[in-house]
Amino acid sequence: MKVEDLLGQPGEWLKGTGPENDVVISSRVRLARNLNRFPFLTVATPASRADVEKFVRSHLDGAKLPKELVYWPMSAFSSVERTVLVERHLISKEHATAEGERGVAVAPDESVSIMVNEEDHLRLQVIRSGLQLEEAYDEIDRMDTALEGALHFAFDSRFGYLTACPTNAGTGLRISVMLHLPAVALAKQVDKVLQSLQRLNYNVRGFYGEGTSPLGDFYQVSNQVTLGKSERDLIADLRKVIPEILRFERAWRHKLLEDEPKRLEDKVWRAYGVLKNARRMSSEEATDLLSSLRLGVNLNILTGIPIKTLNELFIFTQPAHLQKLERRILEPDERDLVRAELIRRKLEGL
Amino acid sequence: MTCEKCKKSPATFHLTAIEGGQKREAHLCEDCARKSGVMNVKFNFSISDLLETLEPPPTKAQAAKTPQVRCPECGITYSEFKAKARLGCANDYQVFKGELLRLLEKVHGATNHVGKTPSTADVHVQKEHELMRLKRELEGVVKTEDFEKAAQIRDRIRTLETELSRP
Repeated sequence: MKVEDLLGQPGEWLKGTGPENDVVISSRVRLARNLNRFPFLTVATPASRADVEKFVRSHLDGAKLPKELVYWPMSAFSSVERTVLVERHLISKEHATAEGERGVAVAPDESVSIMVNEEDHLRLQVIRSGLQLEEAYDEIDRMDTALEGALHFAFDSRFGYLTACPTNAGTGLRISVMLHLPAVALAKQVDKVLQSLQRLNYNVRGFYGEGTSPLGDFYQVSNQVTLGKSERDLIADLRKVIPEILRFERAWRHKLLEDEPKRLEDKVWRAYGVLKNARRMSSEEATDLLSSLRLGVNLNILTGIPIKTLNELFIFTQPAHLQKLERRILEPDERDLVRAELIRRKLEGL
Repeated sequence: MTCEKCKKSPATFHLTAIEGGQKREAHLCEDCARKSGVMNVKFNFSISDLLETLEPPPTKAQAAKTPQVRCPECGITYSEFKAKARLGCANDYQVFKGELLRLLEKVHGATNHVGKTPSTADVHVQKEHELMRLKRELEGVVKTEDFEKAAQIRDRIRTLETELSRP
């Protein structure tokens, strides 16, 4: 499998078929694991890093993982290709830019990835479309169990799984749900959501995780606590919180539709008009307009555009994806032209 | 390594103190460490500073007086952890246990893991820790050109690696 193959077909989780997909884009679970016999990467020499990479790689093949994965060393990728993987949510920004031996194993449907030598020796990830936290956890738990026989993870009965940063210790589990909250944003109620989530010890981040700003009204909610609760309890806790946010977003959608239908219709149809006709489009404008269009489709203001197409466009209009598509480095100005053209083409006949 | 006081339990506390320019090492089990009071050693930092970072800087004289506990496996001190906010190895959780417990309490509101336990914990753990410590020791003796010692360590590393590679 090549990066080109990844590019051609969007990840399973983008299909927009999962439960609650009018608001929930995806559910993601991540486990941080370290090998007991090697120092953490903070102090690892280049040789020790290389040993970890070799060791993990040799055991990935033997482990009976629920899904077959393809492993790549990061050195196999150009810098644009690495950014494509970041834009696909398969690796972190840090993993794309860091030095030293490291790699990533990916399932062809992109629902599973394992980063090797990121902040921890292993970072396992499972992404599912819509709200499927239990299903995602079941799958990552099976992967973890399949790997632990061969790899011997650093573990302590008091501290749990030992991670480079103590904020991940215990379960090493980070659960994130990507939400689309355009009505809450339109009603200027985002702060309310953020504050109540922070009070409950949840982090809220932008589309591309840590340190990114909200893009197109997408918000990623994830747990801060990883220790002192079981994996199932952490999931159950978030499972209680998410429906509240869904109810809030849907209530605002309903209110806007009832109270100010023309304002909402105008916003959606304008977005449609610009996306169908523009000749130049910045990344920010594209995500904003696509967000409005996605809201319009969910509210049946406008029909005939599959959610899948819109979900894909959020990813495919990102800078590295455009460059990979054109097979050359593009200046920001050129990207705006290519982006507008790609969107027009994808919306043609819809 | 067994505790040098009771000579029974495994030593989980490895302390290096610099006192008046003299280096002193102690390897103790948790119980003996608690009894001897080394677990209550006052450091020139508190864990809350990791999050709040408003700690008055110590003078050079104050800093010299403060014992710097160094992990025998990865070689980092707690101050180095603080600077990077990342630990150096699994053993750091034992070496800096007291500080980390306070930090974890603050971050997670809890200090005990109640989740999944790997089925393969324990047997390998001791050997793997020894292996990591020996590899570090080897670097040291190679630097000082103590080839006899280096050969001994290499033999032990080889034995451990063979044992660990068995399923």
